[in-house]
Amino acid sequence: MLKRLRTVTPLIKYLLIILLGLVLTMFIISFADYQTIYNNISRLFYQTNGFFDTGSRNIVTAIYLDYRLFDSLFEAGILLVAVTGIGWISQHDDEQENAHFMLDKYKTPELFITFSRLVYPIMLLFGLYIVLNGHNSPGGGFQGGAVIASALLILFYIDLKKSTNMKAILTIEKWLFISLIIISVISLFTRGELFTNFIPLDGNADLKSIYLIALNIIIGAKVALGLTAVFIAFLKEGR
Amino acid sequence: MNPILSFVIILIGIYGLAVSTNIIKSVFCVTIIEAGLILLFLNLGQYEGGLIPIMEALGIEIVDPIPQALMITTIVIGSTITSLALMISIKIFHITGSIEWKDFIKRK
Repeated sequence: MLKRLRTVTPLIKYLLIILLGLVLTMFIISFADYQTIYNNISRLFYQTNGFFDTGSRNIVTAIYLDYRLFDSLFEAGILLVAVTGIGWISQHDDEQENAHFMLDKYKTPELFITFSRLVYPIMLLFGLYIVLNGHNSPGGGFQGGAVIASALLILFYIDLKKSTNMKAILTIEKWLFISLIIISVISLFTRGELFTNFIPLDGNADLKSIYLIALNIIIGAKVALGLTAVFIAFLKEGR
Repeated sequence: MNPILSFVIILIGIYGLAVSTNIIKSVFCVTIIEAGLILLFLNLGQYEGGLIPIMEALGIEIVDPIPQALMITTIVIGSTITSLALMISIKIFHITGSIEWKDFIKRK
């Protein structure tokens, strides 16, 4: 077994290429008439009903916050579990400064620090804009959270003496996940069904956007804190 | 043509997973498979003349929003899964002293 694992012989490589080519031809044959199989019923449904059902002009936001909120809940759960696992595997120490190892080895250039100070508030504002307007324009919690996380990562280069508490970040993540579940369960009492908007169906579109903005902010905070925690874990591990 | 190209990217990733002897390279191959999958799904709902799924006015023709909504979650999960795998490979390096699959298997 071990001998076979040690080197992949050329014969096996050629066999593998032939096998994958076979899979590719099967895919091409089965995909030749996918335009006829793939109908546009769901597209027409969202085109006509999407805005009136959810009050969100961005139909993608309407799907992941209203029609398929169950998906987003489990996605947030996977994010929480993965970030907790990364924090658990990396042996972090809360007292140590984060970026000390960066300062020692590489000496961040002065030009980079100066321009980071200029760019940092703009990036933060842009991320907040994307999160808050996720229901009207391209964007949403996931994308805006990623922008905010990259802004927070720049902060580590500016302020090298900064130290963060990993446990506090994980605690905030847990509470955000619980509040996400609570907000999505409120609709059981106002509308009679789980995991949708808690504003009644015949409500105003502006009123419905309260729910969308709240959930977008929570998801954005979760993604931003999760990516920042991942970065901190790697920073502490790379010493 | 585009779905076939993205499927070729997925097959390249599978080939790399089968052949690579390095743990980091295996993680990269998983990322390549994920990129091909995202391309494949985003191609599904497209058609000529379709607009982005934002209803700025009533009655505009949009592309299918379902694959895009699915792929948003896939991108976020993929980044966290990749970082988890890289963190585990760092731990393996600390324990065994190398990032080759054969050293990791031999140790057991």
